Amino acid sequence: MKPVAITGLGVVSPLGAGANVFFDALLAGRSGIVRLERPFSARLSTRVAAPAPFDATSSFPAPKLRMLDRVSQLALVAAAEAIAQSQGALQSADPRRAGVSMGVAIGGPEASDEGYRTLYQDGSDRIKPFSVLMAMTNAPASWMGMDHGLQGPNLTYSTACSSSAVAIGEAARRIARGEVDVMLAGGAEAPLTLGTIKAWEALKTLAMEDARDPSASCKPFSRNRSGLVLGEGAAVVVLEDAARARQRGATILAELVGYGCCTDTAHITRPSVAGQAHAMKLALEDAELPPGDIGYINAHGTGTAANDSVETAAIREVFGPRADATPVSSTKSMHGHLLGAAGALEFVAAVLTLVRETLPPTMHLEEPDPECDLDYVPGRSRPAPGMTAALSNSFAFGGTNAVLVARRPVPSGA
Amino acid sequence: MTDTFERLRARLHRDFGMPLASLVPEATLESLEVDSLRMIELLFGIEEEFGLSTQEDADHNQLRQRLRTLADLASYIDELRQAKAAG
Repeated sequence: MKPVAITGLGVVSPLGAGANVFFDALLAGRSGIVRLERPFSARLSTRVAAPAPFDATSSFPAPKLRMLDRVSQLALVAAAEAIAQSQGALQSADPRRAGVSMGVAIGGPEASDEGYRTLYQDGSDRIKPFSVLMAMTNAPASWMGMDHGLQGPNLTYSTACSSSAVAIGEAARRIARGEVDVMLAGGAEAPLTLGTIKAWEALKTLAMEDARDPSASCKPFSRNRSGLVLGEGAAVVVLEDAARARQRGATILAELVGYGCCTDTAHITRPSVAGQAHAMKLALEDAELPPGDIGYINAHGTGTAANDSVETAAIREVFGPRADATPVSSTKSMHGHLLGAAGALEFVAAVLTLVRETLPPTMHLEEPDPECDLDYVPGRSRPAPGMTAALSNSFAFGGTNAVLVARRPVPSGA
Repeated sequence: MTDTFERLRARLHRDFGMPLASLVPEATLESLEVDSLRMIELLFGIEEEFGLSTQEDADHNQLRQRLRTLADLASYIDELRQAKAAG
């Protein structure tokens, strides 16, 4: 793919708001996973989750807030940060050649839960008037487009846990093909409602609470891993045509150079080594980079029994003898699984490894699993001077695999 | 009913942050930037405030034609309140 410039990053995460705040917390090995304090907490079998410590009421005037589910609030705050960092990516753009591409798996479950409560529990027929507008999956992207007057494509991808990696990859393709000049791309998810958490509990994929330290409940690649921890947040990147970004003197944080997307068709949840490996190969081919150029892999690393060993085998298949020399970490050990927003949040982490030349660790990797035998950067961040490229994996229920490759920007004229 | 306008005014101020000074009987809904969506929300608020139902007037377009000012809105609420009181 023709390289696409990344000129802005925005994050609202369980580790705080702000891309650098988020990345500093990752480097410090801090976990945003807590015992969830909600009115319904006592009804949960698994209480650990990763809420974003973010007060929405201070970011929006009351009349607007009434139209925004939490998922849209998170998206708008993350987008504002990314736009500000880009120093004029949107102001200088033809609005018809600027768009939005977001990944959202669930939508606005606070609004739908409340509607159902009104109808079925309270027996009232008075559903809030904006329930449809709040709960619709494309609400975050729509508000981003409206707030910033972006009249190009406004797209929402919903491919479960790979949604926002797909959203970023597809946005980059549109820029690389010359259809648009700039896109806000990312993902948002706010799944910490009783209905959503109970549905995940029923699927028996959630981690058990660590009795000694709830914040250590997500243990990717560890033999005693017991599942994923749900998290909420949003991450947005500003993607621009690279020549245009250079022309306007923007700081290019990194270039998105590779995107691979393919589908497992064998099972609705069980991942496949072949499918994950194929997606990574496609992304590397697209980037025109050999595996040896990848200095870091941000793993999908959910902490489920099935994912982590399959992902390990897939990385071995693609990287061959280079696999042991390629650091891999799962930052989900600290921010949990943000579902539709996971791919974008972890892509931001991968981009920042290039900017900061430091790798975030996999935390809570207590007991090595013989089937997970790569270098997972356990327990502590690691300097990575001179690294040139990073890869971010996102795999999903339903089978859509998406892999993104970012590269340190090539100096102008090189 | 004497308190209708004051309650309507307080509600608009609370729900939409409209300045009290702008909430005079002759103020048009248009001047208060009440678009079709806000009208839906406004009627929802009125139903809650006065314990009424506006569902019978399902044709929102017609209702919007009829209710141009806050005074129109207050008399509409009065009609509904009286009908309700009459049972």
